[in-house]
Amino acid sequence: MKEEIRQNISMTLYHGARIVLGIVFVYASYDKILHPAAFAKIIYNYQILPDELINLSAIFLPWLELSIGFLLVIGVWLPGSVFIGNILLIIFFCALVYNKARGLDIGCGCFSTGEGETPESNLYLLRDFSFIVIAVYLFIKVFILNSLGLKRSS
Amino acid sequence: MTFINSQIWTKTSRQVLFIALIVLIAGFVSNRIRSDKMPFVEDWSAKSNLVTPSGENLEISLSEATNLFNKGETVFIDARSRAEYDVGHIKGAKSLPYKEADLKFVEAMAGISEDSALITYCDGETCELSMELAVFLGNAGYKNVKVLSNGWSVWKQNGLPVETGKG
Repeated sequence: MKEEIRQNISMTLYHGARIVLGIVFVYASYDKILHPAAFAKIIYNYQILPDELINLSAIFLPWLELSIGFLLVIGVWLPGSVFIGNILLIIFFCALVYNKARGLDIGCGCFSTGEGETPESNLYLLRDFSFIVIAVYLFIKVFILNSLGLKRSS
Repeated sequence: MTFINSQIWTKTSRQVLFIALIVLIAGFVSNRIRSDKMPFVEDWSAKSNLVTPSGENLEISLSEATNLFNKGETVFIDARSRAEYDVGHIKGAKSLPYKEADLKFVEAMAGISEDSALITYCDGETCELSMELAVFLGNAGYKNVKVLSNGWSVWKQNGLPVETGKG
């Protein structure tokens, strides 16, 4: 009986995590798909990608987010979508950390001289970090526990 | 990672490939059919960003700007935050933070006629505040507004006159 409850909680957590992360990705892609030019501007402001890759990212990245978000929500192709989700979130997180470290205000693409330390950037970092926690949890579930044969759910 | 069986990696790679294919098609098709389609590769250099939607290039070179400064024929407008302005700014510059431009406009631009030559600046090669402010001032009736790209940094680096505090 106890084992059953534990199983139930674990399954709820797992499905909850995948649906939440899926919704996050779908939500994140929505505005970018509608306004790729504005998204390109944001990518430009991050000052990381070479110019040639800015528009390409702005055109394709939102569709990648939408696809894996959709797959996560409906629970299909989980290994593929969880894998890509982890990579994307880690890249975004690194980009944020990198720009914070060099004092670039990504809101406007301006280097602030330290005076205008933006509280938003900490908030973004925290938010992204919590998404990574969910994504890594799913990765462990899908890749390690499943392949040990403890659960079958993909 | 030997504790992950190899089957799941095969499955993952296959799914990643499929997802990539879907994304490629979706991106291509959507960019093709939308009215505001974008080129896949575009010139994002800082210079092209100093051109207004109507095609006017607002950039002014440092030498031109210095020239006008020495003759006292221009007013510099600092588009950065007030705090940054107080730490240091181009000598004689007025502070008009772009983010508060609506609120501070009347106070900052008092006594500056619409025919005056203005030069906006902020800091960083990709900083857009100066450009945005120039467009804002243009809409407000100032007909002679230029942008000194990466203004604060190049001005300082060239040892040109600066001052601190409330200018």
